[in-house]
Amino acid sequence: MSMRYHPVTSEVIEELKTIVGEDNVVLDPEKLEAYGMDEVSEAEWQHAPEVVVKPENAEQISRILKLANRELIPVTPRGAGTGLSAGAVPMLGGILVSVERMNKILELDRENLFMVVEAGVTTGEVQRTAQEAGYLYAGDPCSADSSYIGGNVAENAGGNKAVKYGTTSRHIYGLEVVLPTGEITTLGGKCLKDVTGYDLVHLMVGSEGTLGIVTKVYLKLMPLPRYVVDLLVPFDDMKKAINIVPIIMTHGGIIPTSVEFMDNLSIKAAEKYLNQKLPHSDAAAYVLITVDGSSEQQVEEEFETIGLLCEENGGLEVFVADNKAVRDRIWKARKCYAEALRAISPVYCMEDIVVPTSHIPQALEEIYRLADKYEVKIPCAGHAGDGNIHATLLREDMDEQTWQEKKKHVLEEMYKVVYDLDGNMSGEHGIGAKRKDVLARFMDPVQLNMIRSIKKALDPNLIMNPGKIVDVE
Amino acid sequence: MKIVVLMKQTFDTETRINLNAEGAIDETGVNYVVNPFCEIATEEAIRIKEQLGEGEVVILSVGPDRVESAMRQCFAMGADRGVLINDPALEGGDEYTTALVLAKALSNMEYDIVLAGYQAVDDGSAQIGARVAELLNIPQVTVVTKLELSDGKAIATRELDDGYELIEVPLPALFTAQRSLAEPRYPSMKGVIQAKKKPIQRLTLADLGISADEVGAKGARVKGESLVLPEPRQAGKIIEGEPAEATVELVRLLREEAKVL
Amino acid sequence: MAGVLVFADQKNGTYKQVIYEMLGLGKKAAEHLGQELQAVVIGKGVDNYVAPLAEAGVDKIFVINNDQLESYTTDGYSKALTELIKQEKPSLVLLAHDAVGKDLAPAVAQKLGAGQISDVVGVNFDEQGLLFKRPLYAGKVFSFVRFTDKAETGIVTVRPKSFDPAQRQAGRTAQVVSFSVNVTASDLRQIVKDVIRKTSARVDLTEADIIVAGGRGMKSAENFKILEELADVLGAAVGASRAAVDEKWIEPQYQVGQSGKVVSPTLYIACGISGAIQHLAGITSSKCIVAINKDPEAEIFKVADYGIVGDLFEIVPMLTQEFKKVLAG
Repeated sequence: MSMRYHPVTSEVIEELKTIVGEDNVVLDPEKLEAYGMDEVSEAEWQHAPEVVVKPENAEQISRILKLANRELIPVTPRGAGTGLSAGAVPMLGGILVSVERMNKILELDRENLFMVVEAGVTTGEVQRTAQEAGYLYAGDPCSADSSYIGGNVAENAGGNKAVKYGTTSRHIYGLEVVLPTGEITTLGGKCLKDVTGYDLVHLMVGSEGTLGIVTKVYLKLMPLPRYVVDLLVPFDDMKKAINIVPIIMTHGGIIPTSVEFMDNLSIKAAEKYLNQKLPHSDAAAYVLITVDGSSEQQVEEEFETIGLLCEENGGLEVFVADNKAVRDRIWKARKCYAEALRAISPVYCMEDIVVPTSHIPQALEEIYRLADKYEVKIPCAGHAGDGNIHATLLREDMDEQTWQEKKKHVLEEMYKVVYDLDGNMSGEHGIGAKRKDVLARFMDPVQLNMIRSIKKALDPNLIMNPGKIVDVE
Repeated sequence: MKIVVLMKQTFDTETRINLNAEGAIDETGVNYVVNPFCEIATEEAIRIKEQLGEGEVVILSVGPDRVESAMRQCFAMGADRGVLINDPALEGGDEYTTALVLAKALSNMEYDIVLAGYQAVDDGSAQIGARVAELLNIPQVTVVTKLELSDGKAIATRELDDGYELIEVPLPALFTAQRSLAEPRYPSMKGVIQAKKKPIQRLTLADLGISADEVGAKGARVKGESLVLPEPRQAGKIIEGEPAEATVELVRLLREEAKVL
Repeated sequence: MAGVLVFADQKNGTYKQVIYEMLGLGKKAAEHLGQELQAVVIGKGVDNYVAPLAEAGVDKIFVINNDQLESYTTDGYSKALTELIKQEKPSLVLLAHDAVGKDLAPAVAQKLGAGQISDVVGVNFDEQGLLFKRPLYAGKVFSFVRFTDKAETGIVTVRPKSFDPAQRQAGRTAQVVSFSVNVTASDLRQIVKDVIRKTSARVDLTEADIIVAGGRGMKSAENFKILEELADVLGAAVGASRAAVDEKWIEPQYQVGQSGKVVSPTLYIACGISGAIQHLAGITSSKCIVAINKDPEAEIFKVADYGIVGDLFEIVPMLTQEFKKVLAG
């Protein structure tokens, strides 16, 4: 492994016990194993930490990081472990810092429309609390029920509402963070405009735990749209399905809140997993569109416009849900994508490519061509509205060697296609450990060096989640 | 073929239930839905109409104005029109009084089949269907998972605790719907747009010729006294002793203390 | 004389556990009201079925024999029971909140113009009489209700496993009264064409009332058999943690947890499951969690309502035996 780091000794463990309390230090091998994986199902991206600590505030984390710097032990921060790029997996062992005990909602500021929460609050809890108070927190990853807001910040989670409301980054105005060298500072706050110095808040957002550990998040809220309507439209042709996006936005003049798509393999997987007949399940694709607003009339006009456009442009039928029960039912088919695929193939490789929206049909065509060429099933679903495709290679019954071979070839060609189409390899799942090597090959060396320089400046001993995004040495 | 569906609007089952200062259920911010079993009954009614190529599906409900949005959802699926009964005198009623009102309304309507959900997810009483059938003097089959129609008759599959039975009844008859009877469709856009225009006839007790004394708190056979939230989860206990003893003790606790078996 | 009447539904002379539970409750109610405990048995040739009821403390047993009542029909049984109630005027009638009870009770209640309180889980005895406790919103709230004086008889359906069963004492006798009802074939609008009893087909995880689940501690696919045996006795579904699925001891559709299925059974029995966060995320809505694990420090014990620290290969088969014994009644 790496010569630069030292193992966790019993002295270190004693010191950790002094910092967080003996009850909050985990050493049981079985439990450590559970902390050594996220939602990436392949064994090569799983590795147990040497010890897990569960601090309750920034001060404790600061002391842990100072210890880590002194002893040269790698530290991996972790939220709920729902990540898809092994970003929270302690690939080099060391100390894993779990923020699970830091789960308080600190403040709901109705005057300024902010919520201040600890990093270990689940996204779902944030959404529900905002909603019960009449507000919308617009970050909405599919894993919202279990993911922590701290993890969302680390990954700049995208999610279902990004088309209209933007990614997590757009809703973060402040962070309390513990730097790799142990200093605690609060970046930003509740000011809506702030050009004081560099935009450090947004440097931290999406840095995947490599530039510090986030302990508090200042989230911007919006008034809750009073009317929300979902449309589900099966198409018999994938190109037509994706082309509906520019048609809606330009001809319709409407920016929907979400536009999701699922290909036929995904539809069939969802049907099987939910044990429920889905309408037109032989269709080439489903497109799910959400519109929301404060005026019932406007929302009605919008969904009717979109519905008509869909009908005129290849939609087989337009289903509309204007109440929560039916909306939840429609969304279940899309949200259960990962679990539905797991049920068919416990091991899979989910990619997160992003291309300009207009290039989605081409990207999909190429992906299906690769699927045929290498005889591997690659169901695709994702955020049609922002060009983010979760193409998932299914291992199914392949033996290990065949799987690794096919994966290598398919991904190699897939990324080439993505870059040729002006795209990039990760729209929202991050680089983590999983895509580090690929990034090194495909990213402009100038940018790779910018990343390395910043990393070295903030984490001189390279103990903060090493081996993620880029290798510095 | 005329089908009337008895529909109840209830809370979304995922709603967090709170009690207000008066000890009643706090309805602020609550999401109202068509009772899932009633939704299934509506779907089955529409399916029958489509299969026969003719017919009318009428949604009949008792409740305040907000029930209209639930009716519109049924219209969006394909129901044709609705009848909504509301009256301040209904306050404090029970299943007996509600059934009375529904049956009176039905006695003024034409119907070959009456469909209802087998129970409402809010109170879980499972009484309305049977009571209405008695009042109308039509046969009933409850907890139906499949319905087949033929000349003037129906064969309903009724779910038992340990299996099911096939029951034949002459029409008109009343059936209460269980989960597997039908899968509610996603409403089509046309359906949602047309739903806004379908008519809802609003009736009061006077329209039905029912006196206020017969219903509401005055006519009810059951009266609610108070509501209480369940106790929060207690800390668990480790059962000590040799495996044989611990096992027996565990089973005893599950039956007598936790009451889950 | 006014009484508390229990509808003693029987199958070939055997009474389910819930009948004894209703007799236990009925006895207390009758004592509180100063009335006698009564029971009614309906069927064809049911005179021989009274002994267990007498032994369980019933004062008077009504036997209704009629060829048309050999099998249950809504019309047949509701007519028979209603005639008895109209004659004997019990103040309270108890039926089980099971398939027959749910079907029969409201039909009888309506014929009598009476009120019905469904799915009762508790009763308070006070100066006014009886105050019944029942769940609303799937048990998120409990409601306390009483009958008004608008009707002479109150009909109650009782949730199984909510009350202590009456104890049977050999040799106890009761007054047995034959009651004849005028039920003819033309009264029965429901014609039973066929009855199919299910063989124990296992229920879907997300709908299951009871789940028996195995984790890393199961050690092999074959060992899941002992969980299946326990599941069969309980009428439960079988589940698994991610560890067991990853080891390929069981198919992925049985996985419970964050990336598997989220379940909300009344009873969840976790065998050899350590309780990783991802697994717990799938089971926190369970009403009652039981954990069996050899590691006393296992996380699962922190959320379990009951736990046994021990070897699951010893404990689970013992549990199966004990449940088999106890549930046979």
